[in-house]
Amino acid sequence: MSLAIVLLVLLAIASVIGTVLLQNQAQTDYLAQFGPLWYWTFRSLGLFDMYHSPWFLTLLGFLMVSVAVCLWRNTPRMLREMRKRKVTIEDKSLQRFHHLKHWDLEKTDVATVQAHLEDQLRDWEIKSAEKDGRTYLRADKGRWNKWGYILTHAAILVILSGGWISVHFGFRGTMNVIEGGGQENTIRFLKGAKTEKMTMPFTIQCNKFYIDFYPTGMPKTFRSNLSIYDHGKEVVHNKDIEVNHPLIYKGVRIYQASFGDGGSDIKMKLFHLNDGSVSTVDSRVYSTYRDPKTGVSMEFTGFSAFNVENMAGPGEPKNFKDLGPAVTFIMRGPGLKPVKVKTFMNPFEQKGKNVGSLIMVSLSGDKKDFQPFSLGLDFSNPNDWKLLQAFGKHLIDSKEGNEQQANMQAFRAALHEVFGNKLPPNFQHMGIRVLQAMNNLSNVPWPFIPILQDYHQVYYTGLELTRDPGMNVIWIGSAILVIGLCIMFYLPHRKLWLVIEPMADKVRLTVGGMTNRNRLGFEQEFQRTLSNLEKMLVHQQ
Amino acid sequence: MTAITAHRLDAINRGLPGFARFYGYVGAIVGVAAYAMFGAAGYQSNGLLHFLTASSASWIGIGAVAGLSGATALGLAKPRLAESRLAMNMVSWFDGALMMILLTFLLAQFEPAQAQVSYNDQSNLVSGRIIMTMNVMFLAAALLYITHLFAPNSLVGKLATASAWAGVYAGGSSLLLRWYESYLLGLDIGHAPVSNLYEVFILLFCITSVIYLNFERRYNVRSMGAFVLTIVSAGVFFGIWLSSVGQADIKPLVPALQSYWMKIHVPMNFIGYSSFAVACAAGAAYLVRDRLERKGSNAKFLASFPTLDQLDQLAYKAVSIGFPAFTLATILGAAWAAEAWGGYWSWDPKETWALIVWLTYGAYLHVRVSHGWQGRSLAWWTVAGFLVTLFCFIGVNMYLSGLHSYGRLT
Repeated sequence: MSLAIVLLVLLAIASVIGTVLLQNQAQTDYLAQFGPLWYWTFRSLGLFDMYHSPWFLTLLGFLMVSVAVCLWRNTPRMLREMRKRKVTIEDKSLQRFHHLKHWDLEKTDVATVQAHLEDQLRDWEIKSAEKDGRTYLRADKGRWNKWGYILTHAAILVILSGGWISVHFGFRGTMNVIEGGGQENTIRFLKGAKTEKMTMPFTIQCNKFYIDFYPTGMPKTFRSNLSIYDHGKEVVHNKDIEVNHPLIYKGVRIYQASFGDGGSDIKMKLFHLNDGSVSTVDSRVYSTYRDPKTGVSMEFTGFSAFNVENMAGPGEPKNFKDLGPAVTFIMRGPGLKPVKVKTFMNPFEQKGKNVGSLIMVSLSGDKKDFQPFSLGLDFSNPNDWKLLQAFGKHLIDSKEGNEQQANMQAFRAALHEVFGNKLPPNFQHMGIRVLQAMNNLSNVPWPFIPILQDYHQVYYTGLELTRDPGMNVIWIGSAILVIGLCIMFYLPHRKLWLVIEPMADKVRLTVGGMTNRNRLGFEQEFQRTLSNLEKMLVHQQ
Repeated sequence: MTAITAHRLDAINRGLPGFARFYGYVGAIVGVAAYAMFGAAGYQSNGLLHFLTASSASWIGIGAVAGLSGATALGLAKPRLAESRLAMNMVSWFDGALMMILLTFLLAQFEPAQAQVSYNDQSNLVSGRIIMTMNVMFLAAALLYITHLFAPNSLVGKLATASAWAGVYAGGSSLLLRWYESYLLGLDIGHAPVSNLYEVFILLFCITSVIYLNFERRYNVRSMGAFVLTIVSAGVFFGIWLSSVGQADIKPLVPALQSYWMKIHVPMNFIGYSSFAVACAAGAAYLVRDRLERKGSNAKFLASFPTLDQLDQLAYKAVSIGFPAFTLATILGAAWAAEAWGGYWSWDPKETWALIVWLTYGAYLHVRVSHGWQGRSLAWWTVAGFLVTLFCFIGVNMYLSGLHSYGRLT
């Protein structure tokens, strides 16, 4: 039996390892993290997929065997004990009870006392017998308590078997289906360190993917409109599935699990800093564009139509604002440090004023390291760029003495060149932006400024497909476990022995009680029963 | 064991008054369920607010009156039925819940006007102030309980109990208020107040204190309060820290949490965690008494302190509440996972740690029941078990990633 405790403790300790050591990561990550020696040690111990390693499964197997042996050994005895209740009791055993009380009752007889007792203890199961002139009463409550033991332990066996059935006869994998794209029929799942594939007997098409956001930018709901085709015939037509609300087809449960970019079309404008020219790029997420002139490449990694940020400073109440569509990509090029860039379609507004376009740059490539960088210029407005170019040109030409005057003159000339005599109403703001840009753009190491111009967003819906024949076994086992635990803890077996012994001029009553659990509760119950008995037997006379 | 005085049952809970009231409450609950199922439509979109309407009140009222009058008639006809121990034991819990709800209604009158309620600045909501009251009450209770150790017969003990109860009522009604306030912030934001670390912390304090106060009332073990309320106070400080770093705001639910399972799974889990906390307090009290006794100390407070045997039994009793609750909670979690993610068990860190906690207390029960261990080693076990529980509760959220990542600090 102490094997059980050793197993429980060992399982607990082993389980800790798998939560501290991230499971089922890429092998190269492990190698980088631990170095070759520990990597091979851990790998040979199966620690990277620990919960499916032979030694862990063996441990679970031992637990099953141990539980089964306990049940095999104890059940017959317990069933026998529950059926057979011995009424008579030796004085010696009675004296050893924690709970014991004697009364000497006068002017009464055994039959009266017995009748009183049976009435008072009507909630109890009473059995009586006579031996050596004494009358023995035995009262039981919760005498099926040992079923608690049998049920809980049997439940563990059922649950572990259910798990075994799940692992051997079920499957669980993910399938990403592009919105409005083709039909998919393959799921992918991890087996040990490898990703494996499995073909479903049907294909799934995602007609439409919907997503709603809270004002804070958190996703509120997402759902997919799916059609399922079996042998080319549409068997499920335009059915919506949602998180927590799966769809079942042919015993396979189809869950909405995640979503992502399904390769959105991206249109970019590149503003070349050396010659002022503007080129356009048509690409899509997950592909790479390489600029032929400069050799600089952009690997598009993601797109999001909403980018809600908290614009409040520290200590201020929150102020959530949608910065509009943005695309992220990794920029690489000759002589450039590779960085992750997020560039927005719309200019940034501050207190109702257009302060120009914003990009975010992350040197580490990690999302949380994005630093905002203000370009100054509003690149979504072609006139801003034209004005900047003209200003730069005129600044070189200007010959005025001090810098401020030179700037003013060059700016006036530039305004005239771009707009003629019809100045736009907000040209002062434009001027501030251009001056800011002159300053800020000189810090940009890239040959061009990439700005998102247009997009067509396409999602993929992340589905999880499972078949799990062990699941119902698990639920049955769980129900048995809970029922068993309730019987075990809340219906303790309480026993009272009452011995009535006629004496010369009185009747001696001895009451002894015991319980197998919840002694504190029984103590009170015993005292209460005694005081009730006392009221009835002693004071009534 | 003689120190235990018999359970003082208020006359109002015994016999017919308790019996009738109990079935009145049962009737009210049936009324709520019936209204949700057969009453006016709107439960899906209006959530809690759906039950704060006149028509809902009439359904609940009819249920309550039907239960009350039916049970009164039955009790008068068959007095023996009215002696039901279930009704007698349960009715005071329902009384407490009703008082908490009435208190919440009262406090809700002080909520700012709808126009002043804004998601971005939640500082004007009433619940924040009630939570502060709760913090103060629990801290005061801890100090009073500790004082009580050294002045066992004075009024301090009663004050300690009173302020612990005040803390429980403040905490419980602040959570109910938060539930209501979440709907004030927006119908689509509204959700039960068990969705983030801050809210479940309050739940943990309240359930822990209630379990302890129940022990105190039944077994007259007020000296244990110093240990339980010290644990609660440590949590209160953590809660204050959480709120100072902006974790106290009501936030909308991510899609995975938008399920009725959340309302069942989370509170059930906290019954487990709280019982383990009480078991730990009993274990700690055992260790203190044991050490003092072995040193031959004749400290005055030992006289009124629960005996070693009592503390041992109390720790076991707490585990025997917590273990089945925790088992059920884990099973409910598995059922939810099966419905939301397609698998009842994924060896995700939170699940695995729940298993570790379960194994720890499972082993505790084995050594106790089938090996007859008792006393000091088991007291240490309850303390260590609570540390494992704490890691499962907080540590996993803070240090390990996984499917329960919404419990994280953001």
